[in-house]
Amino acid sequence: MTAASPATRVIDGREMQPPEPLERTLEALDTLPRGEELRLLLYCHPLPLFNILRNHGYVWQEEIFEDGTHEIRIRHG
Amino acid sequence: MHPDLSFDQAPPIDVPFRFFLTAPLFGIAAGLLLAIVGGEMFASRWMPSALAGTHLLVLGFMLQTMCGALLQFLPVAAGANVWRPRLVAGVVHPLLIVSAVLLVTAFLGQQPGFFMAAAHGLALALGFFAIVTGIALLRTPARGATVMALRLALVALVATVSLGIVLATGLARGSELPLLALTDLHAAWGLGGWALILLAGVSYYVVPMFQLTPAYPAWLARSFPFALIAVLLGWSLLFDPQVPTRQQVAFIGGVVLSGVFALATLRLQSRRRRKVRDATFLFFRTAMLALLAVIVSVLVITWLPALQGEPRGAVWIGLLAIVGVFVSAINGMLYKIVPFLNWLHLQNLCGMRMMPPTMHQMIPEKRMLGQFRLHLAALAFLLAAVFWPLLARLAGLLFAASCAWLGYNLLGAVGVYRDFKTRIRVAA
Repeated sequence: MTAASPATRVIDGREMQPPEPLERTLEALDTLPRGEELRLLLYCHPLPLFNILRNHGYVWQEEIFEDGTHEIRIRHG
Repeated sequence: MHPDLSFDQAPPIDVPFRFFLTAPLFGIAAGLLLAIVGGEMFASRWMPSALAGTHLLVLGFMLQTMCGALLQFLPVAAGANVWRPRLVAGVVHPLLIVSAVLLVTAFLGQQPGFFMAAAHGLALALGFFAIVTGIALLRTPARGATVMALRLALVALVATVSLGIVLATGLARGSELPLLALTDLHAAWGLGGWALILLAGVSYYVVPMFQLTPAYPAWLARSFPFALIAVLLGWSLLFDPQVPTRQQVAFIGGVVLSGVFALATLRLQSRRRRKVRDATFLFFRTAMLALLAVIVSVLVITWLPALQGEPRGAVWIGLLAIVGVFVSAINGMLYKIVPFLNWLHLQNLCGMRMMPPTMHQMIPEKRMLGQFRLHLAALAFLLAAVFWPLLARLAGLLFAASCAWLGYNLLGAVGVYRDFKTRIRVAA
């Protein structure tokens, strides 16, 4: 897992109903170029997403902020 | 903040679905029973047809969905792994169906043998269910308000079933016991204990998650189930049919307490981050408003002497509680849980090769909103029929139609699941 890359796409899933954040993330990952990063913002620790990422060779970094936001940065492994 | 969910231990999708798809059939049966019997059914809650209709709803509709939901919810949201869920469902589900049918037949035909058979069936089904889910809930490392609420709900289920078995045995064999007063206690544990505490425990998870509201206040989430159990225990320990005032105080106390949960939920809904007014939101709001209506009705009936001896008062409260609160809340939850489970199971099957249909494609919003309006109309006619018995048959037909539409919508979602699963197989 690495630090943020210069090119970052953002999905703010904090005001979306499940599983919309997951749907949008998987759609975005489909076209995510190598070297770029996808930044996902949620109010939870998305275990189902992590299982999918692990199984498909992605790496991620998670940070939790004071307002309860989980920031997940995803890139190709 | 949403709670975390884990789907590693989720049971096979047929485990909850077999319960969910059965429930509307019992709702249809309850509606048709009213359509056949007519206004006489609402003359008093002690009418055999009223007792039969009540149990079609509480055993057939409510308990079915609650057992199915708990088998899904325990491992996913409470980290409590249920022992062989498919086997548990395979035993509990058919036994519940047969026992409910036997009990309803017993009420309608006043058949002592059927009461005994139903009592045995329910004892077996729910005893097994309570042991398996109880062990899972005791072993889970998870802590928090939801897990505690689920444990207390299970205690209330055991109390409800035990009292129900005493009542059924009393009806079958004749008994010196004060069956009418015990029936109140049985209903209080069933609706105010098992059903309401379970609804609260599940709501702590699904309301913030699916309706995008803030979380329930921690003090409320923790204390509400304990307070309800304390009232029910007090009622049970001081039980004396010769002193009805005690029961009345406990009843009013429990009902007013439930208002705190209703007001808290309505307040959270008003503070939701995104103003979505989908079917689940509307069903849930209806349930909470009906709960407040129960409180107002109980207080009015208690303080107006002219209404105290009116047998239709209890029918009115029963309809508001069972159809208004619980059928509404369950209906709304099914519209989120079924498409969500479909999506997750399909996602697990297809990985990132294909994208499963969206939630809205599983059950179109228009169909859910249409069924919501029909449910509201059925509820309005049911309540009106308490005072205008001529409306009872129409109310029964409307309710049966609403449950049929719910079943149709759920089956549609299952159809989408099956079609997509076939596409995944073909693509592989």
